[in-house]
Amino acid sequence: MAMTYDAIVVGAGHNGLTCAAYLGKAGRKVLVLERRHAIGGATVSEEIHPGFTFSSCSYVVSLLRPQIIRELELSKHGLEIMPLDWTFSPFEDGTSLLRGPDPEMNRRNIARFSRRDAERYPLFGQAMSELGRMMKPIIESPVPEPSKLTPSTLYELLRMSKQFKGMGEESLAANFKMMTMSAVDFLSEWFESERLIGPMSVSGIIGTFLGIRSPGTAYVLLHHYMGEIDGAFRAWGLQKGGTGGVAEAIARSARSFGVEIKTNCPVDKILMTAGVARGVVLENGDEYHAKAVVSGADPHRTFLGMVGEERLDEDFTKQIKRFKMRGSSGKVNLALDSLPVFPGLDPDSPALKADITIAPNIDFLERAYDDAKYGRFSREPFMDCVIPSLSDPSVAPPGKHVMSIFVQYAPYNLKEGPADWENQREAFGDAVIDTLERFSPGIKDRILHRHVLTPLDLEQTYGLTEGNIFHGELSLEQLAFMRPAAGWARYQTPIEKLWLCGSGAHPGGGIMAAPGQLCANTMLKARAV
Amino acid sequence: MPIRSPFHERVAPYCTSYTWKDWAGYYAVSHYGETHLPEYWAFRESCAITDITPLFKYVIQGKDAARLLSRMAVRGFAKMQIGRVAYTCWCDANGKVIDDGTVSRLGEDHFFVTAAEPTLSWMSRLSRGFDVEIADVSEQTGALSLQGPTSRDVLKQCSDANLGRLKFFQTTSARLDGIDVQISRTGYSGDLGYELWCDAQDSLRVWDAVMAVGRDYGIQPAGIEALDMVRIEAGFIMLGVDYYSAPHVTIDARRSSPYEIGLDWCVRLDRGAFMGQEALRAEAARGSEWKMIGLEADWLELERLYESYHLPPALAPAACRQSVPLYSGGKFVGQVTSTVWSPLLKRYISLASVKAQYGKLGTKLKLEHTAFYERRTVTATVVERPFFDPERKRAP
Amino acid sequence: MSRAIVIGAGHNGLVAGLLLARAGRKVTIVEQRGEVGGLCAASEVHPGYTVPGLLHDTTGVRRDVVDLLGLSRFGLAFESEAPSVLAAHSDHKGVVLHAEAKRSRDELEMLHKGDGDGYIEWRGFLSRIRDFVSGVLSQKPPMMKPDSIAELWSLGKTGFGLRRLGKADMLELMRVAPMCAADWLQEFFGDPLPAAALAAPSAIGASLGPWSAGTAASLLLYECVRGAEVKGGPAALTQSLQKAFEAAGGEIALESEVARIRLDHGAVCGVELEGGRFVEALLVVASCDPKRALLDLIEPGTLPLDVEEQVASVRMRGMTAKVNLALDGRISFRDREGERHARAVVADHLDDIERAFDAAKYRACSERPHLEVSVPSVNDPSLAPAGKDVVSVLAHAAPHNLEGGWSGETSARFGDAVVEVLERVAPGTSAKIVAREVLSPADLEDRYDLTGGHIHHGEHALDQLLFMRPTPKLARYKTPIEGLYLGGSGSHPGGGVTCQPGALAAEAILKG
Repeated sequence: MAMTYDAIVVGAGHNGLTCAAYLGKAGRKVLVLERRHAIGGATVSEEIHPGFTFSSCSYVVSLLRPQIIRELELSKHGLEIMPLDWTFSPFEDGTSLLRGPDPEMNRRNIARFSRRDAERYPLFGQAMSELGRMMKPIIESPVPEPSKLTPSTLYELLRMSKQFKGMGEESLAANFKMMTMSAVDFLSEWFESERLIGPMSVSGIIGTFLGIRSPGTAYVLLHHYMGEIDGAFRAWGLQKGGTGGVAEAIARSARSFGVEIKTNCPVDKILMTAGVARGVVLENGDEYHAKAVVSGADPHRTFLGMVGEERLDEDFTKQIKRFKMRGSSGKVNLALDSLPVFPGLDPDSPALKADITIAPNIDFLERAYDDAKYGRFSREPFMDCVIPSLSDPSVAPPGKHVMSIFVQYAPYNLKEGPADWENQREAFGDAVIDTLERFSPGIKDRILHRHVLTPLDLEQTYGLTEGNIFHGELSLEQLAFMRPAAGWARYQTPIEKLWLCGSGAHPGGGIMAAPGQLCANTMLKARAV
Repeated sequence: MPIRSPFHERVAPYCTSYTWKDWAGYYAVSHYGETHLPEYWAFRESCAITDITPLFKYVIQGKDAARLLSRMAVRGFAKMQIGRVAYTCWCDANGKVIDDGTVSRLGEDHFFVTAAEPTLSWMSRLSRGFDVEIADVSEQTGALSLQGPTSRDVLKQCSDANLGRLKFFQTTSARLDGIDVQISRTGYSGDLGYELWCDAQDSLRVWDAVMAVGRDYGIQPAGIEALDMVRIEAGFIMLGVDYYSAPHVTIDARRSSPYEIGLDWCVRLDRGAFMGQEALRAEAARGSEWKMIGLEADWLELERLYESYHLPPALAPAACRQSVPLYSGGKFVGQVTSTVWSPLLKRYISLASVKAQYGKLGTKLKLEHTAFYERRTVTATVVERPFFDPERKRAP
Repeated sequence: MSRAIVIGAGHNGLVAGLLLARAGRKVTIVEQRGEVGGLCAASEVHPGYTVPGLLHDTTGVRRDVVDLLGLSRFGLAFESEAPSVLAAHSDHKGVVLHAEAKRSRDELEMLHKGDGDGYIEWRGFLSRIRDFVSGVLSQKPPMMKPDSIAELWSLGKTGFGLRRLGKADMLELMRVAPMCAADWLQEFFGDPLPAAALAAPSAIGASLGPWSAGTAASLLLYECVRGAEVKGGPAALTQSLQKAFEAAGGEIALESEVARIRLDHGAVCGVELEGGRFVEALLVVASCDPKRALLDLIEPGTLPLDVEEQVASVRMRGMTAKVNLALDGRISFRDREGERHARAVVADHLDDIERAFDAAKYRACSERPHLEVSVPSVNDPSLAPAGKDVVSVLAHAAPHNLEGGWSGETSARFGDAVVEVLERVAPGTSAKIVAREVLSPADLEDRYDLTGGHIHHGEHALDQLLFMRPTPKLARYKTPIEGLYLGGSGSHPGGGVTCQPGALAAEAILKG
């Protein structure tokens, strides 16, 4: 094969596609190679039960950056995100808490549990959006490298510190403090009712192997709040037709810029000459050559798999091996015969169109975490559910519904080893349904089909090492200039001409597409392609 | 979606216009009939009755009740007489106003507070270590406002309160149709008027008793639009219109100190520590950046402006809450925050926030005015507030 | 010069008082209890048996502070080397972890191949960063935003020190600090025992388990200041401090509990003692915990709201109970007949420590607590009758907010659990017990006036250390009340017997 490209992107997930699109837009000749038959990676819609379309993995579009939507003209290419701006939290005693865009309604609803909390709730939002505003430039730019105090890093640090300039010493320290706190400790400084703290705290643990009391989770909470920083409307939403539509739209945009996308092309190895990447070889032996190779796969897969330990220096290998990937979540997708009910909830209430959070109190969430610490799936897991068919009837037959349930904790490393997920999959599914039944009596009888994805499935089907949905845990020591390895947080890798553009790079996971965009921009600026 | 006040059942049938607003989460009538003007005239000529239940209401009791309020507000309460009501505001640590409201002393250790925004958490936060109990009685308390020249006669007829002895900004308990109520001589109209506080469960009976008597005195249910007109005439500021609650806005430029919104007279600096004391002391010494003023547009100039388009001057006799820029020498110097053409005074008056040096009485400014799609300016003069201040308001 | 008052005659109060007295101030230390020493004061658990203070570990005492104070002239001496710690195990003889890693290599390699080298590597990293970390801990906490040339200089020094570490160690330090102790230690050890034994100290004084992020930082702080013990233990330290203080002209008023710190126009004017006596002073150093100092002793409503609220939200949830045992004979650890061990850590597995923390999260006592054991009579046989031992145990986790509250019965039950765990690693111990004293966190609160029964005056967690200890606004010992300073374990660099907070508080006062 003599085809030569400017760049080859490995993996057609949303980050790989975004990176390819930006490179294509800049006039580069780009090839994207996808292992599976479908593009999208974890950003995928699949008809798993006839007539029912599931967003199998990623199910909400949270942080997809508006700048990317504009620059890649994604709306023109089929991006249609319906806002998901309500949160519904049922409790076992039949009460529930609905939060949404109406501040007076929020106040009344929260006041049923605590009047003080009701009063502080809007102020909390205010404070978080202020913090978000401060963090925004950090998300938007590649991180400076503190170990190399070159004039350019100094300049970047200065630029970033300008951001902090308006802030006094104390508020700066307070923000730093917030970054090192646990979600529960942080929220407890604001609120008193667990009915509020419980459901709010889970934003701090989604996709992590941490409990809501673990230090560092307050920061993750903010990370999720940043969906709100870009404009008046909350950026959480559902893609019409399922999450796969996001990847489709980016792919169409990429193709419009001349990017070539090939599926069923599993990459086996990165081709290297004298330590410089110059292409890839597929599992079937086909070779593709390029001036640069960009990996959208996670750091483990990229370096330990496609590059191979033998071609890396020992120290870097050690760092990558230590980069923690422990998957902690699973997915249960349900095809439902009818709409689930929650006690005391009007069936016409907008609550069902909401993000339904099963996180009734702190101890419940801690117990769920305790199971995972000792290598078991949570007997009573935290669940985040959406019923996309209520907003988008196209994904289910008339009158029927799909329900997407994100489940945590489901540790990849079971006590019996990850392979034992094969034996525990159904028990896991049962635990999810049994728990849900306590909050939505009768849901069991509505189930037409149940599709359980364990972390092992996420690894085997979607190529996520250890089933980690963020390509690496979002813990403090794995963020910013430590992501994925100290000294290599700027999309460049120790292999010359090999770049990393997936969620394992700064600023991390979620359907944000920022790593893809930032990687492409960094490459272009460095004239690497 | 808003909820219904305890008076809703009675109020709703009068509201033939079906114009409702959301006031602090409650349905509140904008105007009852075809226009709000009869309601406006009731405020000034007879008696307007308004459901003010959406106000936030708190009862503070305990040995340290006065201490808590003194720590919170810009004035002290230790020496306040029982039976007095005080209008005050409260600030954050930077001396920026959070909210304004009234504080009534019902007993040595017993106060009643009204506020525009929820204030329970704020008061709780300020009361760590204090011997005090704070009860949020917002929903348990029904509230009516009776304002206008005949309001005293109405209340005299239906209650046993000794209104002759109830002075301006005093409060008393009374019985009304056998129901216990609290009556304070306060209001938002700048006229003779009273506010009635009762158990929410008694609301309908209170309404009925007042209305039954009121018929003979020209009583008229009045909505927010008419209320807005009279409060501008009275020169009263409004949270969320003429100033913003400090913790609810993002930038400092949107926050105001009491000095900047015309509440200088409320502030007592030299006493024990209170929220914002240091910042206010510094501001008092330094001078404030902004000043809240009364402004009157030059009517003849307005007429000429309209005349240039061959139009008669068309100013709706309704309050306008939209802010409009003010200029001096072509420079932006502030903005008008509330405006009304007063049918009673026949003046086009505004409340405005201007850079302090432009706030002196008699200063001429240029007020932006759109007559025929085109933005022009007319001269406006800084004048005394209140614009309307009848003697009967304070008369015995 | 007007009088200065120091609240509390614990090690930090004494250090602060001594430094002020030496600088010519007239200093009175007011102590609520009937004896000097605070958490370091020894007590008789049974006739003939003396246990050291609540805090029995003096390996953290800062040598530079001791030198500065010239305490050797007042009888203070150190053992010759950092103590070894026995990592005891329920089923086998465990391992002895020496400060000099090489000496433990063989034993560790027998336990699990590679662990001996892992320990050497781990200690190697610690010794390379030791100067830097201990340097940070012996200065005023760095500020985040330099606001003067002097600050810039000190930040530069810290930054420079960090840079001098070399790129690899610097990045490693930055990587490790926010981690959990368990993840970090498991990078070095294949056998669960050494990881558990080394992780255990990170759980002390924190409401965290070894799987909680940030515990690596507290482990670093603990390990990087460890040195030799004070001869004679904590009581010897406070005794020499007392002598030095009195020699400098200071006076100590015992059984003098402060009821209020009195203010005049926002500045300190004295303290009012329980019983009504007023002592005039324009300077007060509170070595009690920050909540006690600022929320209990100051008239409510006087502090700025933000300071008041930040202090109120300082987390101080006591998790530690103290169990003192008088033995009729010597303690003997499993399969270590005839060996003497002054210190032992009892936790077979990281999960044991984590499970103890789990119980506490749900407001219950751990049924299988993990222990930090000190046998002071090994180094100082005079503490117990000849041939017998006195044993001091810090046991975890015993939550201060126990469901249903603490009582004699719940304390006794927890004492039983402690003895049971001890019996497993030191068979025959329970039969030798002649007296047992269990101090629950509630007892500690009562006896030592510790808010939440917290022995460190505030949890050691990432967000409550350095320039955030006890709160960002109070991290430099000064408070918003003129003349009032904090000088206890609630301030940087934190709890344990280090003497550093007291010294830094005095420095902040004297240097302005």
